[in-house]
Amino acid sequence: MALPNSDLEINRSGVQSPVAAVQQFIAAYPIHKNYYVRIFVQAILTIWAVLTVTFFLVRQMPGNPIDVLIEQILTQEGISYQEAYDRVAASFNFDPDATMLDQYVDYVGDLLRLDLGTSITSPGTRIIDEIARFLPWTIFAVGSGFLISFVLGIILGMMMAYYRDSALDHTLSLVSSFFTGVPNYIWGLLIIIGPGISWNWFDVGAARGTYDPGLTPGLNAAFIGSAIEHALLPIITYVLATLGSWMLSMKSSTTGVLNDDYVNVAEARGLKDRRIITAYVGRNAMLPLFAQLSISIGFVLGSGVVIEEIFVYWGFGHYLFQAITVRDYTSVQGAVLILSSTFVFSNLFADLTYGLLDPRVRISGEK
Amino acid sequence: MSEQAHEAVLRVEDLSIVYRTKRGDVKATSQASFDLHPGEALALIGESGSGKTTISLALIRKLPKNAVITSGHIHYQRDGSVQDVLKLSNRQLREFRWKDCAMVFQGAQNAFNPVLKVRRQFEDTAQSHGWTDKAAIRERALKLLELVRLDPERVYDAYPHELSGGMKQRTLLALGVLLNPQIVILDEPTTALDILTQRAIIDVLNDMQRQLRFSIIFISHDLSLAAEMADTVATVYAGEIVEIGPVNDIFYRSLHPYTYGLLTSVPTLGHMQDHLQSIPGSPPNLINPPAGCKFHPRCGFATDACKKEDPPLEQDIGTHLAACWHKDRLLESRKEPV
Amino acid sequence: MSSKVQAAPHPLLSLLRLPFTVLFAVFGFINRLRANRAGFIGFLGLLAYFILTFIMPYFIPFDSEVNLDEIAGPVGSRIQLAVHRDNNHLRSFEDLAGKTVGVVDQTGGPSLIAPYADSINIEKYRWTSRRAGPGVRAALIDLANKEIDAMLIFSKNVAELRADSEDPELQALLAEHIVISNPELGPPHLLGTDTQGRDIATHIVHGGRILILTAVIGGVISTLIALVVGSLSAMIGGAFDAAMTALSNLILAVPRLILLVVLAGLIRFENTLFLGLMIGLLGWPPLMRAIRAQVLSLRERDFVEAARSLGLSTYHIMFREMLPNMISYVMINFIFAITFAMYEQIALLVLGLAPIDDYTWGVMLYFGRSRGTLYNVDGASMALSPVLAIAFFQVCLVLFARALEEVFDPRLRAAV
Repeated sequence: MALPNSDLEINRSGVQSPVAAVQQFIAAYPIHKNYYVRIFVQAILTIWAVLTVTFFLVRQMPGNPIDVLIEQILTQEGISYQEAYDRVAASFNFDPDATMLDQYVDYVGDLLRLDLGTSITSPGTRIIDEIARFLPWTIFAVGSGFLISFVLGIILGMMMAYYRDSALDHTLSLVSSFFTGVPNYIWGLLIIIGPGISWNWFDVGAARGTYDPGLTPGLNAAFIGSAIEHALLPIITYVLATLGSWMLSMKSSTTGVLNDDYVNVAEARGLKDRRIITAYVGRNAMLPLFAQLSISIGFVLGSGVVIEEIFVYWGFGHYLFQAITVRDYTSVQGAVLILSSTFVFSNLFADLTYGLLDPRVRISGEK
Repeated sequence: MSEQAHEAVLRVEDLSIVYRTKRGDVKATSQASFDLHPGEALALIGESGSGKTTISLALIRKLPKNAVITSGHIHYQRDGSVQDVLKLSNRQLREFRWKDCAMVFQGAQNAFNPVLKVRRQFEDTAQSHGWTDKAAIRERALKLLELVRLDPERVYDAYPHELSGGMKQRTLLALGVLLNPQIVILDEPTTALDILTQRAIIDVLNDMQRQLRFSIIFISHDLSLAAEMADTVATVYAGEIVEIGPVNDIFYRSLHPYTYGLLTSVPTLGHMQDHLQSIPGSPPNLINPPAGCKFHPRCGFATDACKKEDPPLEQDIGTHLAACWHKDRLLESRKEPV
Repeated sequence: MSSKVQAAPHPLLSLLRLPFTVLFAVFGFINRLRANRAGFIGFLGLLAYFILTFIMPYFIPFDSEVNLDEIAGPVGSRIQLAVHRDNNHLRSFEDLAGKTVGVVDQTGGPSLIAPYADSINIEKYRWTSRRAGPGVRAALIDLANKEIDAMLIFSKNVAELRADSEDPELQALLAEHIVISNPELGPPHLLGTDTQGRDIATHIVHGGRILILTAVIGGVISTLIALVVGSLSAMIGGAFDAAMTALSNLILAVPRLILLVVLAGLIRFENTLFLGLMIGLLGWPPLMRAIRAQVLSLRERDFVEAARSLGLSTYHIMFREMLPNMISYVMINFIFAITFAMYEQIALLVLGLAPIDDYTWGVMLYFGRSRGTLYNVDGASMALSPVLAIAFFQVCLVLFARALEEVFDPRLRAAV
């Protein structure tokens, strides 16, 4: 203690209590109060919760898939229980002798290395490769459909609000009810029956798959053109099915915003109409729509399973459905995890966009 | 009066406005006429629903969709040339708004777009009127924000929700004079603010008017505010201007029983409260207003003449005008102890 | 204390008044709805659906009789009578008495012919191909050669065959000698027949009830859970609120239809009721969040504050003060929940993941699609009829719910 060494002091306190160090850090930088940090942590926690529940559900469920599978292999191949068990364990990517907790830790560790195990029905196929093959197509189709309908819905909804109670408004209202009411797979079937079969506008058979066979994926015009062509029907379906609710929500929120003082003041300020419509009316009227975004993304992403089956579009929904029909549990487990991560991250993206559009949220962190 | 016509920056003549509603036409403004001179502060006072706001909205043609201007002219003079505001094209009107005539609405709480910074809203206003130099806009805005006694740098880069009510009101005042308008209309500039903030706003307004020399029309039911700020006061009743004149004449020698009623219904500091009385009855139905003088059902001086014929707005002394058949009786009564 | 403390009427008296009150309410409601034309159309549509699916089944029997394998009859199809040109006077079953009539094995509507089987001589031709094989052609050739007097054919494909034969000589022969004597023999089919020759219209009549009931069950369950959990979360708060919010977030983390598809794939739903239950159990989180938010905001409102300061019980506050303020919102969301439940169960049916014991619109759609009728304009009715039945039902629900939204307090929806 002869020489007071302040450096040492700090060092020692850091070593002594990491918790205190973290507390100090948080006190100094209140990152938990930061909107972006919060929603990001929330997204990670949600994914963690999903994977945990899936993990234990698959293993603890009465008549769980592992037992079912072992049973199946036993009856089919007549090998010993231990052999069958090992094989299933290998597919599910866990060490059968480890405790449940160890297995869980292993499983999460593998996931962090993006190892989702291998398929049961086609051994040796890594699930992550399959997902990488199918998922981009779904994100492409669902994403473009979603974006188009969101933008179109906002424009049409604003038109309805500006021309409220006109013939245009009434017509669009009715149309939007049709869009909302008719289930999206029904739209898909109607597209096939009407323009596809009866009127022969396009070849239903040729639209199968995600791009024409024989083309090399890459940034060439033929491939991109073909990819768009094949995704067109699913995209149209996604647009039709979600457009109605965007239109109606946008109409009601625009109607509200048009009565707001700041729009009135903006007109009195002699601002140009275009500026008022975009930055004053449009931007504010859009905000409430973000509250529905999460449910809507889930809806569109979920409907992919049916839509992709109907149009024989080889995306993620198709992959998941195939895995379900052949009872490929590991693939289903991996697919659900990836799909919910996609969903959670697209929600995160929506929240980030919302934060950019509404400054009030960035401070309070509340919608 | 004729010489003054050249001076007036705004001359409203015979302005009548009706609102078309399902139940009938609401005659919100009837044959209103008044002049506004450069640097003058004109107060429009009256009860809620008397038509004060309708008149002011008509000046910048921001009336609700169901409003129809049935007669009248609004002559606006700038640099020697006179235009009728009611005949401006859409483009001219857009340019006229805020650059020539700015309106500070009541309830500034929601006057700012919540998603844009104050800076952006100042720039929007300036850019829409052809002023594109952002540095210059900033310089002027900061100067004005300082004039309204705000921390200019902080407020300029703030979002509206980061400002308090009083700060928003002052920011709106600064925004109002950004383009150096000749006329600023203030609609209830101090309602919904606490007493201290009200005080500050009034001081700021007086300051600003002294420095920037614009004309003010302000709408209020707050008579003390009118007394403090106005050069001229106009009393509006049932859509008509029933009395108009210099502020002192109106307050100390009011010639219309309604103005007098408004004055006596306000408690004043230092006076005994037994003078306080309210005007009986309620404002008339403007779909079917009473015949003759519209105030007669509530007026203590009413006679048969009042029920039959509407008194004209007549000159009394100088620029003091009033529409009443019984000015003399009113003046007489005030001499007697009540 | 409260203004509701008035002289309570005798319970029996109020019971007597009840039907009138209900009647007035219904009448007033319909009157208000009439102002909203689209909503009124939706309401009438729902009434029509109720009659179609709940009442008409008692009068129109389900056509389960397999008539023709593999042939989907076009809309309005009947049996056709083809004769030799010389026998043009033969037009009805009565005319055919004693004649030799050709019937292709699986075409010709056995059930329609059966009553006359004793009076006519039936000559069978073997059916071999999928659509209109040599059996039909052989019969036509025999008819042209007067080996048989008449032939009963189903569907217009055979009529086309007369003209479209690949062999020009044969075509000339058939065209010269054969006429379709009576293109409308037997009862018509309003919507055509399915791949088993059964009348589609009767299937539409019978195929809606269970779907709608399942959807309503799903809607009731999800709405009830949402209502109870949402209000309790908001009123109790604390750990319960945190747990319920976390649970709802977890359920919401996986897109709902995916969750259902996976569960249906793994568990295999055994019956329709269970399907409705599952749909309900997974469907409550969005509404629960909305209700929780609303109760939270209602709690702060003056009238609830007033009730609380009067010392009224939580029960009273919930059911007397808050519920009336939310009931229209809950009702509207209940209708939307029905549309979601409908959407989900039919999606599962289309994918073949739901029980197909009951021959519902969804099952019709599933078979219509899996048997490829979609790809044939003539047979499309099997898939198209249920498609339209479902689509219009959903549209009616949406129109009705939106009209309710406008009739009731529109602010409530905007507040969420």
